[in-house]
Amino acid sequence: MLGTTLSRWTMSYFAAALCFLIGAEALMAAGYGFPSAPLRAPETLLLVHLVAIGWLSLLVCGALLQFVPVIVARPLHNDTLPLPALLFLIAGLAGLLGGFLQLAGTFTANFSLFPFATAALATGFGLILYNLGRTLAAVRPLPLAARFVGVALISLVATVALGGTFALSLGLTISNPLALKIASSALPLHVVAGVGGWLTFAAMGVSYRLLAMFMLAPELEGGRPHMVLWLGTIALAVTILGGLALLIADASLSPALLAGGILSLAALGLYGADVLYLYRARTRRIIELNSEMTAFALVSFAAAAILALALAGLQRFSGQIGALTFLVLFGWLTGLGLAKLYKIIAFLTWLECYGPVLGKTSTPRVQDLVAEGRARGWFFLYYAATWVATAALLASFVLLFRLAAAAMMLATVAIIIQLIRTRLLLNIHDLAAFPAGVHRPHLLVCVPESS
Amino acid sequence: MFILTEETTDPNSLRFLPGQPVLRNRTLEIRTRKEAAISPLADRLFQIQGISTVVLGPDHVTVTKHESDWQHLKPVILGAIMDHFVSGAPVLRTAAPLPIASAGRSTDVLTGEIREALRRVIDPELGYNIVDLGLVYDVVAADNGDVVVTMTTTTPGCPATNYLSEGARACAASVGGTGNVEVRLTYEPKWSIELMSDDARNHFAAQRRGRR
Repeated sequence: MLGTTLSRWTMSYFAAALCFLIGAEALMAAGYGFPSAPLRAPETLLLVHLVAIGWLSLLVCGALLQFVPVIVARPLHNDTLPLPALLFLIAGLAGLLGGFLQLAGTFTANFSLFPFATAALATGFGLILYNLGRTLAAVRPLPLAARFVGVALISLVATVALGGTFALSLGLTISNPLALKIASSALPLHVVAGVGGWLTFAAMGVSYRLLAMFMLAPELEGGRPHMVLWLGTIALAVTILGGLALLIADASLSPALLAGGILSLAALGLYGADVLYLYRARTRRIIELNSEMTAFALVSFAAAAILALALAGLQRFSGQIGALTFLVLFGWLTGLGLAKLYKIIAFLTWLECYGPVLGKTSTPRVQDLVAEGRARGWFFLYYAATWVATAALLASFVLLFRLAAAAMMLATVAIIIQLIRTRLLLNIHDLAAFPAGVHRPHLLVCVPESS
Repeated sequence: MFILTEETTDPNSLRFLPGQPVLRNRTLEIRTRKEAAISPLADRLFQIQGISTVVLGPDHVTVTKHESDWQHLKPVILGAIMDHFVSGAPVLRTAAPLPIASAGRSTDVLTGEIREALRRVIDPELGYNIVDLGLVYDVVAADNGDVVVTMTTTTPGCPATNYLSEGARACAASVGGTGNVEVRLTYEPKWSIELMSDDARNHFAAQRRGRR
């Protein structure tokens, strides 16, 4: 089978993820969690997991369920598992957030929600890992983008294992000394595995392919992207495995974090050179909004790397880790996510609605499903607000941060409205654009007709 | 790479032996620049002024000239063959059967009409027709009207693949005089932006913001 089909539940993943993003932005605007509360307060942990699992992980899972088959040119191993996986992930996240609320004293119960949350999240991510892992395992040799995804999935295993250990220790259900040692000191490793390994590595791998596809640039398969892959993988291994080894030996994590950080910066430098090359070598001179806005996400990513270096040089790294993480989560990952959603939703909706009548009647183009002029300003607002919010965190200006978070929420809601308009074909005004056999799609589920 | 040269009984023809397989188990005679589109190697040779025929054999390439002399042509031909094999490009763009020799005028007309009809199939992502994008590698019509369209997509595994091939099939079948239509998808060679027509390339290079 040369072509792969549409993933039925990807839109549901995206919809759930966007709801969690709005929720997180609303909480930040309302002054919940960091910086109004300490960095390790239960309120902040709730906020971080709402973003990392609710928004970004669901987004990446939904996207990978659609794009891993594209990358390896094989169908997904199992089309039934994505729905239970989504339900387990949402239930697990609800349990986790409930557990943090218990910790914060917002409500009390005779039992801890953390064991339930751990089991449900491990099951949900386990189903995703199994499905994507089996899809990748059937292909040899793996294309470059798929190798990045493979490393991201291994990092997800590490993230869930470390997170589960933390959650179970918070639920007071483990007493193993090693597990307790991990629970007390391995938080940086959990963050590196989750944000660096799982989310960023998957985004980098997929971006190599999507940037080339959407800008008509030559696909990069040479030595430099492979160097990015290897350096990044070694950086993750050194940080996570080296960090765990140091932890077991009762030593400081700093050498592992420092070595991993240097290797990561080298990998990011080469990745930046690759991305610049893709933008410069593109055939499509005037790029679409998604590629334009991806550039802002990449700028945020570069800014985060420079900020990390500057903070390390000023010896203020640990004091400003909140601002740095915020820039990575919202400037880089969320910016990239929203920009790519803008394209992916239009593309998948086009395929679902117009694919079956292609060649039989005239059809609109994918670009006709979007109204870039309406969305562009909201994207600008989103990035501007994110950068202002980062500056406010660096300057400990809490009120400005909350105002900026409110602006981010406003921009996100407006972008989501544009995504819904795209999904429901509301930007197509020409009645001829609805030939016989074309129906308005369902908001949450892809139901492709057989061609 | 060392290329041997052999004389033939025809003083206007020279045989070149590149020391590696050219066409496995077959011989293909290409007489025009248009026919040469099917082979990157023949295409390269037909760009040389004075070449009239190229024969691709299992282990040789035989070139016939109609003007100029071998003293001038031979080094250029050797260079073209060398460049081709060094580039790693395939000898043929498609593994489809090549009934060029048997194709009469009527099948030429039919394939032309089908190519024209295939311009109605738009690549959804690029918003441009699949013919000018260079996604249609070959259209071959038999005397009974049966047609084989050999095509590719910009990305292997693209979710649009099945829709594009079905769209191309439906479009080709809509042309009068067409019998059965078979669409063969291939990724040998892989599509690249060099395969786009000048029109398509100019379109993407000159797109203006706000254009719908």
